[in-house]
Amino acid sequence: MRAFNIVNLFIIIFLLVGICLAEEMVVNSSLKDVQNRCFEIVQIINEKESLKDMDVVLAVDNLEYNWTKNEGNLCCMVNHKNIQEIGQEIAKMKIHIANDDRDAFKVCIESLKLYCHSYLHFMGANLHNIL
Amino acid sequence: MLTIICRSILIYFIVLLVYRLMGKRQIGQMQPFELVLTLIIADLATIPMAEVSVPVLHGIVPLLTLVVVHFLLTLITMASQGVSKLISGKPSIIINPKGIDYKAMKKLSLTTDDIFAALRECGYFNISQIQYAIMETNGKLSVMPKAQFSPVTNGDMKLKVDESFLPIILVSEGKIMKENIILAGYSKEKVEELIRLHGGDKLKNVLLLTVDKLGQGYIQMIEKEGESFQTERLVQHESL
Repeated sequence: MRAFNIVNLFIIIFLLVGICLAEEMVVNSSLKDVQNRCFEIVQIINEKESLKDMDVVLAVDNLEYNWTKNEGNLCCMVNHKNIQEIGQEIAKMKIHIANDDRDAFKVCIESLKLYCHSYLHFMGANLHNIL
Repeated sequence: MLTIICRSILIYFIVLLVYRLMGKRQIGQMQPFELVLTLIIADLATIPMAEVSVPVLHGIVPLLTLVVVHFLLTLITMASQGVSKLISGKPSIIINPKGIDYKAMKKLSLTTDDIFAALRECGYFNISQIQYAIMETNGKLSVMPKAQFSPVTNGDMKLKVDESFLPIILVSEGKIMKENIILAGYSKEKVEELIRLHGGDKLKNVLLLTVDKLGQGYIQMIEKEGESFQTERLVQHESL
């Protein structure tokens, strides 16, 4: 019985370590992907005169597609409510493209970067979060 | 709604698994750290069950973490008496031959009413009947009565009596208990013969059929009176 308990104990510890590593990887890869795409979009809009340019539209569509894909994985690990702002900002960005509102679009990009930065902070394992 | 139903079922089985892993002791006699664990588990399980936005993993991971902590604490308390005393405390004698130990009573934050209630639960209504009463670490009171108030046993009366043995259930509600039949050294045919011998017709009509090591049996058919019988002694089995 004691051996059985110790085997169970190790299985559970491995399972917990696996879940923690998976969470760390999914959170990091998803949010860093959004951050990188935001930097790319900033570069593109600096080169283009109008937001209605095909490159900007494609970049935002790609951002939305990848985020939707990653959001599913993230939802298994973190609270849905904590990550919904990113989807909302992407939706706003599409509206600003339609209106060709450059300033509002830039605000959205900065908000996205800020959300990703803060999510990476509070979703990661660090002493501040533990305390 | 379907999500909540599925989550509830999933979490129910996980909590069940957690309690099974923690062992039977968890349910009956809880030590302080086990009580804390039980309270936390009850709370943790309800969060992902009711809140759809919270991933089920947010319930499972803390539950499994608590199982690990519980295992480790149990291993440590088994290995070290000092840690065991630190975590679970130690039993305290609250009544000795001189009477109630006032210091121990105050240390445990007990009142005389609490002590009397616990004594009554143990079947003693007069404190003068008690030699020792010990408050165990799980909060239960163990009582040792004075010699003149102890129940008389066969040993006291120097009576020779046969040892009693646990009856083995061979048939319960029309179903043959296969493992028990092997334990008793019986076969299905022998059980059916036993049923016929005591007025039974079909196996499915038997409510209960038991037999112990000495061959003392009991049979009751559904909606009929039960009857005791004597059959041959069972073949010696180490677990009987």
